[in-house]
Amino acid sequence: MYDHLDDLEAQSIYIFREAYRKFENLAMLYSIGKDSTTMIHLARKAFFGKIPFPLVHIDTTYKYPEMIQYRDRMAREWQADLIVGSNAAAIEAGMSPAAGRLVCCEKLKSEGLTKIIEERDFHGLFLGIRRDEEGSRAKERVFSPRDKNFEWAYKDQPPELWDQFNTNFDPGTHIRVHPILHWTELNIWEYIQREKFEICPLYFAKDGKRFRSLGCMPCTTPIDSRATTVDEIIEELKTLKDPERAGRAQDQENAYAMQKLRAKGYM
Amino acid sequence: MNQNETLKIVIVGHVDHGKSTLIGRLFYDTGSIPEVRYREIEATCRAQGREFEFAYLMDALEEERDQNITIDTASTFFKTAQRPYVIIDAPGHKQFLKNMITGAASADAAILLVDGAEGVREQTRRHAYVLSLLGIRQVAVAVNKLDMVAYDRTRFQQVDNDIRVFLHSVGITPSYVIPISARDGENIASRHGKVPWYDGPTILEALDSFGNVRAEAGAPLRLPVQDVYKWDDKRIYVGRVETGEINKGDEIIFLPSGKITRVKSVEKWGQTDLPQAISGECIGITTDDELFVERGEIISRRRRKPVAACQIRASIFWLADRPFQSGKTYTIKLGTAEVQAVATAIEERLDSSTLEVTERYAAELMPSEVGTVLFTLKNEIAADPYSENTRTGRFVVEEGLQIGGGGIIRSLTDKSGVSAQRINLGESFIVGDEGGLVDLVDEFGSIEFDVTSGFVDYLGKGNCILFKLRDLGQLDPVARLAFQHDLSFLFSRGDGSLNIVMSKRSPHGRLVSDDNGNGPII
Repeated sequence: MYDHLDDLEAQSIYIFREAYRKFENLAMLYSIGKDSTTMIHLARKAFFGKIPFPLVHIDTTYKYPEMIQYRDRMAREWQADLIVGSNAAAIEAGMSPAAGRLVCCEKLKSEGLTKIIEERDFHGLFLGIRRDEEGSRAKERVFSPRDKNFEWAYKDQPPELWDQFNTNFDPGTHIRVHPILHWTELNIWEYIQREKFEICPLYFAKDGKRFRSLGCMPCTTPIDSRATTVDEIIEELKTLKDPERAGRAQDQENAYAMQKLRAKGYM
Repeated sequence: MNQNETLKIVIVGHVDHGKSTLIGRLFYDTGSIPEVRYREIEATCRAQGREFEFAYLMDALEEERDQNITIDTASTFFKTAQRPYVIIDAPGHKQFLKNMITGAASADAAILLVDGAEGVREQTRRHAYVLSLLGIRQVAVAVNKLDMVAYDRTRFQQVDNDIRVFLHSVGITPSYVIPISARDGENIASRHGKVPWYDGPTILEALDSFGNVRAEAGAPLRLPVQDVYKWDDKRIYVGRVETGEINKGDEIIFLPSGKITRVKSVEKWGQTDLPQAISGECIGITTDDELFVERGEIISRRRRKPVAACQIRASIFWLADRPFQSGKTYTIKLGTAEVQAVATAIEERLDSSTLEVTERYAAELMPSEVGTVLFTLKNEIAADPYSENTRTGRFVVEEGLQIGGGGIIRSLTDKSGVSAQRINLGESFIVGDEGGLVDLVDEFGSIEFDVTSGFVDYLGKGNCILFKLRDLGQLDPVARLAFQHDLSFLFSRGDGSLNIVMSKRSPHGRLVSDDNGNGPII
């Protein structure tokens, strides 16, 4: 029986194949979270089990050890080409959220990403953002160009309709492709439930707490939960009132925090 | 209906007719506003010294709050007891039409908002026309701000009448016209007794009655080739089945190249031997023959195939900042095909608000304008008229490197100069117990026949062939065929079709030609 998850899956596969056909030197940003992991599963569906581009993880050194262990194990299982990037200079200089959460995100994540894009000459990146996560992500296009400085001109985006995407750009334009932009948090969990692929263990409750969204240790708070299985998480989601990223401190810095970060290249 | 299947709705209408307020109200009344976000907006409003503003929920970007308008298409999610919804907010300002179209193009249903005090305005009409161009059929009209006119029934009836008349002219029949006040929450999620003279549904009830848009049932196979992967010693054609279905073993034709082969396998990851794929599915296929077909061709069956078009007449809506120019060459993207196309003529330039033809054979279409354009293509592409297949009957036009507008195909012409379907009489007639059959019931547009020696031989042996005709328009080519090949035919009304029985001799045994072989005598 063909249902809404089949529809969402087909749309993502279509986007993957479109990008792979149109751009050279693509990579996929892998954050270790459930959305990125779903995105990898969809890429394997699109390319008959292969992942025909490298995965990039930007390590801030503040990630939970369980995340790193999971990442390395899965990369081997997928036979993926995993590239771990970081802003070594900033880490060495002691950058931490104490300097300001937004400053830290920009230095360790945005600049770490910029560096690896330049080093490896990636023309485009797959990102697992979703429109229902927060306001500025809701305004994204599926194919979203960034200029030479990786900045996002969100006020003047070309139209995108009928699955016709903007795929021709001036040389030097960096393109972001969002294969799961149209999914919701609930859809992701339903899909994990149906497809039964493994996700990071931190999502499941331990001692009455679980993570709803994964990030760096100093800026991520778990929620109270007894959900230890995917089925229980889906039941729990129906009762939650707070937004998904409520436990991500950088989002709460001020009303426009995410928009400002994202205009300068944040994911 | 699947309880977890999201319905995509778009809310359109003239600027300041209350879209963002309606959306905020929908959220508030369905308990879909997360507590933190509600508090965040409350704090922002207090800092600006104003009352709680529902509109801020949608206007997530900073500039919008400051200017109080919605800049771009944002999606926001809410739930009723019945199912989840995503609202694609569409801005009302004229210069933001491209964002409105981006939002509305993927919607299942639309709410057209009209200010009850101001009535139908320029953008009300323009947006309604765009909905009709985008093929959105499920439309509810909300007559808003009735609190401003003391919920006056006569005023509502007047707006109701005006909007129905306009919608009728663009081919939309509204499912409901609902009197509301977004500010007071009247007829949004519940009734508060302000409009006792109205007994129709609330906005939420109207939305719950709409369904998800699926591919048209019964449409023939259209599978545009998205890419060709040469992996694992296999050549896999990948793409999405836009309409119809494809089965293992099917005979298929690629257009415009005209190459014919059979489906050897239908594949997905981990499922390399599927019996079938249906519309909506992204699949790969392998074929019996190595064909070297490229991205952009459309796979179909040999009957009811798309037209290999070299000329397209289309309704265009133009969104780019620079005008659309007659005589200029543009890139058209249709399905997975890209083709260079000369805008041979802008046959009509329309006022998209009044729908009046403002100019014939115009030099330009300005931003936000609509027109009828004839394109001459530098290479053939496979396509259908929009009325027959929406998925392969629509396209976008690039301006510079970006999408600058969209079009829906009104008619197309192949390279013979007439938009004729060629019917090969070698393969398309089936020889059964009761003789040959050529079924033309599913053939739209004009037709021409390619006659083979097999066809002539079959009749020459004294057999009859039954032609089932869609309409009298097909009689002419069939009669011409009979004339050219010295055949006789008998005409009768069939069960849901027109029947022609063709034979070398008349079915009643009379001679159909004279002794010298000249004829026919009908």
